[in-house]
Amino acid sequence: MILLQVVVGGLLLGAVYALFSSGLTLIWGMMNVVNFAHGDFVMLAMYVAFLGYTVLGLGPAWFIPLAAAVMFLFGLLVYFALIRHVSRGPMLAQILSTFGLALLLRYSAFWVFSANFVTLPDTLVGGNFAIGGLRLQASRLVAGATALLLTIGLDLLLTRTALGSRLLAVAEDRAAAQLVGIRPDRMQALAWGIGAASTGIAGGLIALFFYISPTVGESLALIAFVTVCLGGFGSVPGALLAGLAIGVIESLSAYLIGPVYQDVVVYALFVLVLWVRPQGLLGRA
Amino acid sequence: MSRRFTALVVVAVLLAAPLLLGNAFLQRVAALVMLAAISASAWNLIGGYAGQVSIGHAVFFGAGAYSALLVYKLTDWPPIAGAPVGVAVSLLLACVIGLPTFRLRGHYFSMATIAVAELIRIVVSNWQFVGAAVGLMGPAVPRSLADLSFLSPLPYFYLFAAVLAVLLFLTWQMQRSRMGFYLGAIRAGERAALSLGVPVLRYKLLALLLSAGFTALAGSLYAVMVGFVDAESALGILISVQMVIIAALGGAGTLFGPLLGAAILIPLQETTNALFGGGGTGLTYIVYGAIILLIARFRPGGLLELLHWRRRRVA
Amino acid sequence: MSPEPLLEATGIGKAFGAFRAVDDAGLAVREGEIVGLIGPNGAGKSTFFNCLAGDAQPTAGRIVFAGKDVTRAPADAHARAGIARSFQVPVTFEDMTVLENVMVGAFLRQSHRNDARARAREMLEATGLTRLADTRAGSLGTPGRKRLEIARALATEPRLLLLDEALAGLTPTEVQEAIGLVRSIHARGITLIIVEHIMEVILSLAERAVVFNQGRVIAEGPPRAVVDDPAVIEAYLGRSMRRRTAPP
Repeated sequence: MILLQVVVGGLLLGAVYALFSSGLTLIWGMMNVVNFAHGDFVMLAMYVAFLGYTVLGLGPAWFIPLAAAVMFLFGLLVYFALIRHVSRGPMLAQILSTFGLALLLRYSAFWVFSANFVTLPDTLVGGNFAIGGLRLQASRLVAGATALLLTIGLDLLLTRTALGSRLLAVAEDRAAAQLVGIRPDRMQALAWGIGAASTGIAGGLIALFFYISPTVGESLALIAFVTVCLGGFGSVPGALLAGLAIGVIESLSAYLIGPVYQDVVVYALFVLVLWVRPQGLLGRA
Repeated sequence: MSRRFTALVVVAVLLAAPLLLGNAFLQRVAALVMLAAISASAWNLIGGYAGQVSIGHAVFFGAGAYSALLVYKLTDWPPIAGAPVGVAVSLLLACVIGLPTFRLRGHYFSMATIAVAELIRIVVSNWQFVGAAVGLMGPAVPRSLADLSFLSPLPYFYLFAAVLAVLLFLTWQMQRSRMGFYLGAIRAGERAALSLGVPVLRYKLLALLLSAGFTALAGSLYAVMVGFVDAESALGILISVQMVIIAALGGAGTLFGPLLGAAILIPLQETTNALFGGGGTGLTYIVYGAIILLIARFRPGGLLELLHWRRRRVA
Repeated sequence: MSPEPLLEATGIGKAFGAFRAVDDAGLAVREGEIVGLIGPNGAGKSTFFNCLAGDAQPTAGRIVFAGKDVTRAPADAHARAGIARSFQVPVTFEDMTVLENVMVGAFLRQSHRNDARARAREMLEATGLTRLADTRAGSLGTPGRKRLEIARALATEPRLLLLDEALAGLTPTEVQEAIGLVRSIHARGITLIIVEHIMEVILSLAERAVVFNQGRVIAEGPPRAVVDDPAVIEAYLGRSMRRRTAPP
């Protein structure tokens, strides 16, 4: 019974991983740039949510969309100020640009908020549930369900709407898309905005039940990398499946081996995936 | 006076300065500059010349540092005897990281470097055998010359300068050889390089192996000088970041870029540490992050490009 | 000239999922020939070309070059075997000089720097780039880059050179110069397969033309004959005619 509880808990957290990882895979698929600051975007969103609550007195129904909006705009800013200029240049510049941004965000937060972590009160999203013998926190349940719906929603946006086909067209062949009247620059900026917004929502959701500290970005970034590689380059459905899988694996590892080593298992899994199936579960090679 | 002669005079002066000035603080800074230049020049082989950006190079540095003090702990031999072990471990890790990822887009390699670095760091921080959170220490009292335990920083300065000279010489030779041209081609256009018969995987791996080996050596030298190592000081992200920023600031892919970067950043870092104490670490990272961002955005070629020096003298 | 073909590709297929870009295409080229690959856009000739170059792996069929099976071989193995190629959009090593670019090619057969440099200079001479040897390759315009692309490929001492629309985007004068260059390459004994849209180039250079449409070879023969082939005309014009008269 405890095992089932652990797995369900892992699935719920995994759904949130899937949400922000699908943002990362969208960005990567669109313009072949990996956002090494993605984890720190989530961290930033968590603080926005926290400040929304403490400073503006907002409830989750308000501060989560607020975090999404702030991160969306931040994503656009980063695109226009930085990414646009480095995406077609040498790999060194591309990778260092977002890596430098990650450090800047992380340690600015460290400086402002210090190393101590903060949390939002548990009472924000109702107490605990008991469903069929399982004890679940309402906050985690809400977070997992919301994340799952939004990730599926993102996939539908990409595959079933006109906007989505424009985005995918640019991802497929930038020059060709331009020839049919799509503006690649705008689409790429939008992709960054959506990717950042996904971290905004994910950050707000995680803040409901997890501690908020400046350094969470480091491990969240690696989880995002493992998830997008396992799911396959550019694949949102892949990120969804992989996110859920990683959530469960992490949860099981924490339970069976100990919380200290849960990250180690995930990173080791990453190396294994690279060796055995680098194209991931659903991705193109 | 010819340029070459002037350059030699300048080098001689710089080498003699720590000896003549006699200030222990300056001597220590000079030694640390040399050490940082070794690490960054080693990183430069894979990150600069081959264009494969490693942001987890601390794993190789830590392998060298830990191997040195671990060999001492287990066998009582001089720590430097552990350096070959550190190099061997680094070469193995390099294969584990490079073999699967060099076939794929560049991002996979970069991601793999942080993942493995973090993995090793967490394991080491929790493993009693290698000291867990406490770390390892070197000989408390030097038993022989081989312990390389000097009171003054000056011998370290000359030792590190000698190792740097060897590394730079090898890099210079490499740069002018087929390998140098092939790495440049891989960095500039991998698909075209393949079409010209360049065995891309082999050369990327070779560059990484050389880089990892020398970084491990730097780690061992660090352990010997400082006499202490723990997960944070040898495997932490600051080590990786420092290597990258020093090489990129001076000029990644150039021979003297890393040395220039070290000569600028290390004295700055040591001075701010001395003036503001260790509490400045948060600020250090903020500044480093900003510098890396600015270099990437505005001047990926680093300072040497800015100073209009001819990059990679060849042919 | 040996009777055995230098390059023989049989039953080549390349599928991307359900889509067959190339389907049962074949080509035999004798040493010393100049063969032109033509066909409308999307006809599969570029994919076929990439299979010959080793840039893409065919999902069916066999490619034998000088007696060696290179079907599954990667691009660098093709180069070592003696197949060189140029890219449609030149991939110039921007920050290296023109000479250094060509030296990368030369290093395939020469292990020492001086020998590679000498060989590279010869190729610069052959392609008229000697004057630009020490300029930064990134500063070259399109015609220069195309020449550099060819010089670099030549430096690998190929037996077969694959040119991918090497003459596209050139002015009429430049096209004439390029035709002269291709002829001089041929005169050195190098076999050529060229993909080209400019009919004039095919007509004046190719001894034999192979026409692709919808992933298959639909015609083959002397260029003049092929151009008059009704199937070929329909492939180029027929579809668009049909499309114009079809209901919206």
